[in-house]
Amino acid sequence: MISLVISWLNFFLAILLLPPLILSLIRKTKARLQNRVGPSWFQPIYDWSKLCRKDETLSSTLTWIFRGSAALNFILVLLLALFLPWISFKPSFTGDDIFLAIYVLALARFFSLLASLDSGSAFGGFAASREATLSLLVEPAFMLALVALGINARSSSLSAIFSYSTDANNQVVCFLAGTGILLSSLVELSRMPIDDPTTHLELTMVHEAMILEASGRNLLLVEVSYALKMTVLLGLSAQCFIHALQANIVCPKLLLVILSYLGILGLAALVGLIEGLTVKLHWRKDPEFIAYALTMSLLACFISIGQGATFK
Amino acid sequence: MTATMLDCCAIAAALCATFMAGSRHLKRNILFYTLQTILLAFATAIRGSLQSEEQLYLIAIAIALLKAISIPLFLRWIVRKLCIYSDPGIMIAPPLVMHLSLILFACSYFEIASIGHSKGSSMAASASASLLLTGLLLMLTRRTALSQIIGFLVIENGIYLFAMTQTTGMPLIVEMGILLDVLAGVMIAGLVAFRIQKSFEHIDVTQLAELKDE
Repeated sequence: MISLVISWLNFFLAILLLPPLILSLIRKTKARLQNRVGPSWFQPIYDWSKLCRKDETLSSTLTWIFRGSAALNFILVLLLALFLPWISFKPSFTGDDIFLAIYVLALARFFSLLASLDSGSAFGGFAASREATLSLLVEPAFMLALVALGINARSSSLSAIFSYSTDANNQVVCFLAGTGILLSSLVELSRMPIDDPTTHLELTMVHEAMILEASGRNLLLVEVSYALKMTVLLGLSAQCFIHALQANIVCPKLLLVILSYLGILGLAALVGLIEGLTVKLHWRKDPEFIAYALTMSLLACFISIGQGATFK
Repeated sequence: MTATMLDCCAIAAALCATFMAGSRHLKRNILFYTLQTILLAFATAIRGSLQSEEQLYLIAIAIALLKAISIPLFLRWIVRKLCIYSDPGIMIAPPLVMHLSLILFACSYFEIASIGHSKGSSMAASASASLLLTGLLLMLTRRTALSQIIGFLVIENGIYLFAMTQTTGMPLIVEMGILLDVLAGVMIAGLVAFRIQKSFEHIDVTQLAELKDE
């Protein structure tokens, strides 16, 4: 009973602390690469409290869909954080299926598309169409990566897949699926090779142009759910890498906790590094980048199917 | 130094070939080829330690020196000389070629399983079959003569990997002879590509099919 309470407390601490920490870690990494000191570590929290105090400006064409979908989006991402095993000490639930996770993610994206279309602005409209195109391309990669892990574990339940079994055959599949998830979550979160989150030209953006109409507390909800989604997706791929590592070395529970924190922070630093070193891809080159993610996931699938065939 | 590491090296080499199929840039292709050949040299050394044969270490060193250092350097020199840095590809777009090569990997896995086991590992055998097929795919779907050379080299790597993992190994002298042949072949092909560029002002193999009477 006490261990359950402790794991829940730990989990809530991680949910509260990690999203702003990841945002500021990415900004810091990027700033250090450009020889700047960068904003303070608490900058995301300052930003959010400022947004909380600000009034909201709403366009006259907006309906209830716009404000409702921001809240709904936040709830869906929170649900995703409860279901996806993005950290080793997450309390487990029954019915945490991989397909449920994929469709909750798709539903969250659907509501953010709906919100940006509802605003009626041209920027929101074309950003929504871009986001829809990207999600169409990246969804197979994300899905196949999770399915490969599922085939490997002979179960579609997420807690069974990420159960730290010491099966030596896991490592290659876990590593490839983790890479596939990392690459597709870069697209999913519209980070650097696909979309530049810090540019000032709305014409080239995807995610930022979608939330252009949001302000005040509505924007706060959007920003917080974005940060949480980033934590969860990076954590998921970090867990894949930890599972690949764990197939070789048996880790005690405390080490797994430390590793899963370090994994998320390491991947966030990697995202910052990618943002500092690369340039945004041309829009027509994006499918090529996504093709690499799909390649990783497909290969993971084939290997896990092949292993299943030899076991029979 | 276990058999799993040998398999991992073979799979990583096949993955390098897959990425080569997905990239348009010739220099990146050469880089992936270098990586792939270094992995093969590692696999040879691992095989040597598994079978405790000293001559496989020598072959690994020879591969690293000749195929992983001198051939890529020569190819990079040719690329710089010709000023052709990317290959547009024919028929199928490179990302799709990459997926196609993965499907070939899966096919070769099941094919090798249906042929039946020799004493080598089936994972390495399917990786080498996939290297062979991916090299063929590279030669089929690329336009420039340099890509044809690179595809040929990938096929050669596949054949070498198959022979190295499935048999007890060829004699040192045969292996060295093959390596020298490959080196000479690549040199000649590179220089021929250079001459083609000089006389036709392109190295597009699709346009070389017609005979010119000038």
